[in-house]
Amino acid sequence: MMNIPCPYCGPRNEGEFAFGGPVKPDRPDPNAVSEEDWVTYLTQVPNPLGPVQERWWHVKGCGTWLTIWRDTRTHDIVDGPSDAG
Amino acid sequence: MPYDVIIDRLPIFALFDLKGRREDLAKWAPSLPDFPGKPNTMTRTEKTALFFIGPDRWLLRAEIELEDALVRALRPSEAPADISIVTVSDTMTFFRITGPDAGAVVSIGCPLDTHPDTFGPDAVTYSEFFGLRSLILRCDGGFDCAVEQSFGDMVADHLTRAIA
Repeated sequence: MMNIPCPYCGPRNEGEFAFGGPVKPDRPDPNAVSEEDWVTYLTQVPNPLGPVQERWWHVKGCGTWLTIWRDTRTHDIVDGPSDAG
Repeated sequence: MPYDVIIDRLPIFALFDLKGRREDLAKWAPSLPDFPGKPNTMTRTEKTALFFIGPDRWLLRAEIELEDALVRALRPSEAPADISIVTVSDTMTFFRITGPDAGAVVSIGCPLDTHPDTFGPDAVTYSEFFGLRSLILRCDGGFDCAVEQSFGDMVADHLTRAIA
């Protein structure tokens, strides 16, 4: 299990959180990018071997949404949370 | 060897869910207890307790006999748009777990570190209890654990099995 650092409550057990998915890149203007890039944005989810930026919801705790960087190889939280709200 | 604890299912409390900045809530309802300064802590008076449970989120607990008086004082239906006051008395069931092994029993269902150094006498927080979202707080000699009331019988059963 991971200990996820909630900016409000401090480190809490992973079971108190709901996974909100990886942070996707900013939405491009569909008229300004190629069709291939637009389809890539729509269909591909970041899934690197290494650090990935993710959203988590402290659903069983204070209700805060937060963003962390998690290493997919080790589950180490390498950075964050960089925001809360 | 069985756990040395006493588990009581507490009678209903008057509960009010408060949202908004503390200054706005205090201005609207001066009769509220002092607001806790730190997140996940509480302030108590003789018959009421105010829990700081999330960003701009508070829970007022009082004896059920005070519910009508609190409704008159808090005026939920007239509250301004920047705050929210909702009566939630009948939504939660409280269990009181007291005794020398209270911490050990709570730790069966809850991942929190309940050592007094980290979960002090004024601590209160939402966490997980037997997989359910639960309010956990310190009381004299142990802990109060509150779950959504429809899960009350299930949690009572879990606790009975846990200490058997």
